[in-house]
Amino acid sequence: MSIELIIFLAMIITFVSGCFILKLPVSISMVAAAIVGAFVGGYGFPLRHLVEGMFSYVDTVLVITTAMIFMKVIQDSGALDALSALIIKKFNKTPALLLCLIMLVIMFPGMITGSSTAAVLSAGSIMAPILMIMGIPALETACIIAMGGLLGMIAPPVNIPVMIIGGGIDIPYVGFEGPLAMLTFPLAFLFVLMFGYKYVKKFEYDLIKSKLNNAPMDKYGVKIFIPIFIALGLMVINKAFPTLPNLGMPLIFIIASIVGAFTGERISVTKVCKESIKSVLPVLGILMGVGMFIQIMTLTGVRGLIVTACISLPDALRYIAMAVTIPLFGAVSSYGSASVLGVPFLMAFLSGSQIVTASAISLIASLGDMMPPTALAGIFAAQVVGLDDYKPVLKKFILPSLIIIIWAILFIVFSDKIAPFIVFK
Amino acid sequence: MITLIYRGIIALVLIFVVWHIFEEEKITHQANAALVIIPLVLRFLMIK
Repeated sequence: MSIELIIFLAMIITFVSGCFILKLPVSISMVAAAIVGAFVGGYGFPLRHLVEGMFSYVDTVLVITTAMIFMKVIQDSGALDALSALIIKKFNKTPALLLCLIMLVIMFPGMITGSSTAAVLSAGSIMAPILMIMGIPALETACIIAMGGLLGMIAPPVNIPVMIIGGGIDIPYVGFEGPLAMLTFPLAFLFVLMFGYKYVKKFEYDLIKSKLNNAPMDKYGVKIFIPIFIALGLMVINKAFPTLPNLGMPLIFIIASIVGAFTGERISVTKVCKESIKSVLPVLGILMGVGMFIQIMTLTGVRGLIVTACISLPDALRYIAMAVTIPLFGAVSSYGSASVLGVPFLMAFLSGSQIVTASAISLIASLGDMMPPTALAGIFAAQVVGLDDYKPVLKKFILPSLIIIIWAILFIVFSDKIAPFIVFK
Repeated sequence: MITLIYRGIIALVLIFVVWHIFEEEKITHQANAALVIIPLVLRFLMIK
């Protein structure tokens, strides 16, 4: 047995023991695994490498935090309620289109924050009662919300797994919008119609009219959506006019949040910031842990071992290995899975378009959020609709998961051919 | 100018993470927050 394999096993055992036996947070378990890995590899306590590892994700930390502040601002200002009410009012006569738009609303917080939990707990909890009033059973509603969370996490503009994978081989987070949109939106529409359409064919708007919160829209009008327009506008301007100084996502979210403080209900800046930081800290900690974990894997040669193993697999086996191992490793953390396995698999498929391939791998990595025992998206979605057990949600998820994997693999196989049409730098 | 603004954003995040540490009771969660503080402090001071 090679020393790299021994180090890797020591890291995995430490990590799993920390998570499941000692019940430590995922981040702390990852730090412990990194320290043990360095120790077993004969590097003692390499403080410089541990700190270096943390810096891999400092920019991502800022994006997630400011995105969550923005999300809270538009939630507290009433913009999210107004958006839901407006969509249902305008499109109640076309249930299929209405379902697709509701799916977009559920995905929205995930798209902005890059976290499926944020989508499930914010927009998901707002839309769940509406979906159920429309006649969709609780189980199917939970599936729609969980799926919205997963695909929202992968949809542009913010996709943390792809940032992690890209960071692993120094691809900047540029030009991913097209592939990520093509990977996620068609699936989102397919799944929401698959789970919900048969129940809403004869939907009556009057039944749910009273349950919608129309107050913010009536009180503030279109003004309430200004922060959303500003955020989207600045993102487009940044892309359309490369000669202008790039503001960066964190600054865009902060500008939109400041504007949002004046366009709707009064909000407490301190409360919003405190709540945002509290809700994103577990994710931020995981990113720090992932950074250290990967740095030590690189330092000790474990990463090279995994990359070599992935690259030396025969073509067909490589796809099967990716489809099985990445979601399975996601039981620990989908971010960890993207980092530990996503990077080597991207290197194994380097002959194709790296941007399309990394995007497709991130889609497979998102399935980790439905993988027990952690299954964050599944557990929270079941809670939101009032189900005691999340296992039925997971069972319903088997077919969509297979569709997701096949869709992602198709993108990887044809990445070179489709890249010119969807990658815009 | 942009660098200064970003240092301000980092300072904002840093203040609330430190605040969270003092309000958090579980030591593992405090440790988790402390992990996030390290790179933010180094970046704010432009050490790294």
